[in-house]
Amino acid sequence: MSLSHFHSALANAGRRAALRPQVGVYAARQLHSSQRASSPSSIPTDSTNPAEPITQIAKRGSNQLSLETPSNKAEYVLSTLDKIANWARQGSMWPMTFGLACCAVEMMHMAAARYDQDRLGVVFRASPRQSDIMIVAGTLTNKMAPALRKVYDQMPEPRWVISMGSCANGGGYYHYSYSVVRGCDRIVPVDIYVPGCPPTAEALLYGMLQLQRKMRRSRKGVLWYRK
Amino acid sequence: MVSLQRTIRSIRRVGLREWWRQMQYIGDAKSGRFVGKDQFGNRYYENLNPEEEVPGRHRWVDYAQHDYNATQVPAEWHSWIHHIRKDAPTEDRVMQNLSPPWKAPWVENLTGTRGAYRAYNTVRPKYEAWEPKSTPRGGPSA
Repeated sequence: MSLSHFHSALANAGRRAALRPQVGVYAARQLHSSQRASSPSSIPTDSTNPAEPITQIAKRGSNQLSLETPSNKAEYVLSTLDKIANWARQGSMWPMTFGLACCAVEMMHMAAARYDQDRLGVVFRASPRQSDIMIVAGTLTNKMAPALRKVYDQMPEPRWVISMGSCANGGGYYHYSYSVVRGCDRIVPVDIYVPGCPPTAEALLYGMLQLQRKMRRSRKGVLWYRK
Repeated sequence: MVSLQRTIRSIRRVGLREWWRQMQYIGDAKSGRFVGKDQFGNRYYENLNPEEEVPGRHRWVDYAQHDYNATQVPAEWHSWIHHIRKDAPTEDRVMQNLSPPWKAPWVENLTGTRGAYRAYNTVRPKYEAWEPKSTPRGGPSA
């Protein structure tokens, strides 16, 4: 009887240990991981200071911030030239339409009067050789994949890809189908993923604005100089 | 509608300095009632006169940051600027009294920075970088 009692006590102890709230997770983690650059508590997660917004705080210590702060005159000139090039690029984004399914209808809505993409300088081109963005709108099937890659290869550099909708992002509804590519990022490198099934025209337009943001971050000249 | 008369009227109301700022960031000379300022320093305006502002452009925001985007508008002001709620959060009694205690502080979209959202993931990467493997020239006979 005493033995069984002992057993149940052991089991309870084990259960109690399992259910105990995990205190000092960070300490435990530090034993097995490499040294952190800074402790996670020192970085604020929000900021209401307009002089130092959260985006500035989140960029601290990153390569991007290093690229954006010129350290000598040559870098200053090159980063200014980069900014001019970025401004020109983000002001006239010409997407190649790759409408594959129902997402294409929302893509058309973005071009129509309400969400008027023309005000951003976004004009659809039917030719890949004159466009610099490809919007993959819809389900990418195995049969279409070589065509998509060919169209992408025909686009001149620099080029960007927006993956629109869950089917293009990761297969979506057709993820387990035998004939569908599980995400167009298996075929082409994707810059912006727009979630939704289908995403609204508003969401796609927001994706375009995020792509503009990404274009503005580019510092190719400085990168070349530093190399 | 945009007209020379409207532009001059707006400049006289807001001043040359503010007009220049508006032309840089909004791209239009606007003038209206200052409704409020949110915790990030963005300023919100309204002009309900259809002769001065086209209906639909009658509520606008003047962003505090140079690198602005729409997610810098917090949820309370979003609901005002998109006409989800009639009154601004500074005037809306309901919003002032019913602010839920579990509400997290508003953070703008941090995509492209180190603060970008990353989902917890333990899955092996979907694709690996290509490591070229070539047999040396001369073939297996050499």
